[in-house]
Amino acid sequence: MADSNFKRFVEVGRVVLLKSGPSAGNIAVITEIIDHNRAIIDGPTTSVPRQSYPYKHLTLTPLRVAKLPRGARSGAVKKFIEKESIVERWNQSAWAKKRAAISKRRSLNDFGRFQILVAKKQRRDLVRKIVAKESKA
Amino acid sequence: MARSKELVPGIGRLSRSQVFAKRGLFKGQKKSTAPASEAKPETIEKTIGGEKNGGKRLIPTVKAPRFYPAEDVSKPKKSRKSPKAPSLRPSITPGTILILLAGRYRGKRVVFLKQLTSGLLLVTGPYKVNGVPLRRVNQAYVIATSTMVDISELKLDAKFDDSYFAKPSTKSSSSAEEEFFEDGKPKAKQPIAESKAADQKAVDSALLASIKKTENLSKYLKASWGLSKGQFAHQLVF
Amino acid sequence: MGSTRLYSKGRVLGHKRAKRNSRPNTSLIQIEGVANKEDAQFYLGKRVAYVYKAKREIQGSKIRVIWGRVTRPHGSSGVVKSKFRHNLPPRAFGASVRVMLYPSNI
Repeated sequence: MADSNFKRFVEVGRVVLLKSGPSAGNIAVITEIIDHNRAIIDGPTTSVPRQSYPYKHLTLTPLRVAKLPRGARSGAVKKFIEKESIVERWNQSAWAKKRAAISKRRSLNDFGRFQILVAKKQRRDLVRKIVAKESKA
Repeated sequence: MARSKELVPGIGRLSRSQVFAKRGLFKGQKKSTAPASEAKPETIEKTIGGEKNGGKRLIPTVKAPRFYPAEDVSKPKKSRKSPKAPSLRPSITPGTILILLAGRYRGKRVVFLKQLTSGLLLVTGPYKVNGVPLRRVNQAYVIATSTMVDISELKLDAKFDDSYFAKPSTKSSSSAEEEFFEDGKPKAKQPIAESKAADQKAVDSALLASIKKTENLSKYLKASWGLSKGQFAHQLVF
Repeated sequence: MGSTRLYSKGRVLGHKRAKRNSRPNTSLIQIEGVANKEDAQFYLGKRVAYVYKAKREIQGSKIRVIWGRVTRPHGSSGVVKSKFRHNLPPRAFGASVRVMLYPSNI
């Protein structure tokens, strides 16, 4: 079989990000593929109940729980997720950090937004001064 | 138009026929009581010609109407209702920083002090920080932020009521030209009354002390607010 | 210097209409960034200003305004219905309107 250009596959053990529904924004693991539209996902550590979910509302992440048996139930999934520290690895990823930053920014009040504006101004000023100094020398 | 609440200035919620039905004028015209005029004598003595007519007769000044309505017409009840001051939105409490949306100081962030009996909000810039004086604003033209200034130190004088802000009634000059020009020159600006300036200072001094306690708060009040590209009012948290 | 825009931008889509009949006493407006009925809820009751330029000066200004109000959502895509003091002229279709943030309830 020739090497595929794709890196992320819909497969048992694939960690997915939920895009809609009540637990949107959380990650879960594919435990069983139902058909070409849906899969059973489960996220016992991220408060996602075991359920069938359309791929349309899932995003594949680079993370994968290796050797997750097909159709594993919540208890087993939990053990695997904890063993491979999936949630920690997800939280460390740039993707998750960016998402966290965006939601933090969204939740700021008017004064918070103003404080960011001031802080950014200060940073710009600092950078500008250093660049001016270095380019002169 | 009171019954037909305006949707847009000039557009009532109800149609003309609906307003007519609600006003109930077909039940009889509503009338205000006319000022009491001088009581005329009820009768006038007139001399009457002819021998057998008694010479003189008392004649009523107002002829009794020849027509009497067969049934009593019910009078519409006089309304005893008077508008109450609107209640304050729960997001606005004394010390809340507000964003003004309309008027001379639109876009400015100000501090809310108290609600006056008329329902208008008493706010101040403070004047020292952003140039907004003690002022009344309607809460409909205001966004309440979740940021607060501690105004427990502030002892607000009871004299700040609606009459404090009322304009002194002046005799209107005969023409607009006369109003703006004096001896061919534009009229000099009237200076702000010293007592008002002193009031402003007294209120501000307590406020400024508590504003200083939070970093950037003074800068925040000084800056004005506006929507920038990609910012949508319904998504923002204030 | 930050922005000083105190209104949301909207676009006039046309009058309320059926397939063949149009109802010019109601105009449809799409407000920027509003993509569903829930978001449109924020704007209900807000004043809308259609600002345009005319040839003849009135009180020293060629700029005129037709004021209106957002009355209700139109469907579930975030478009809203609005009523204006004078019905919007068809040349306003596609033009931008200012959706003011008052009367405010936040």
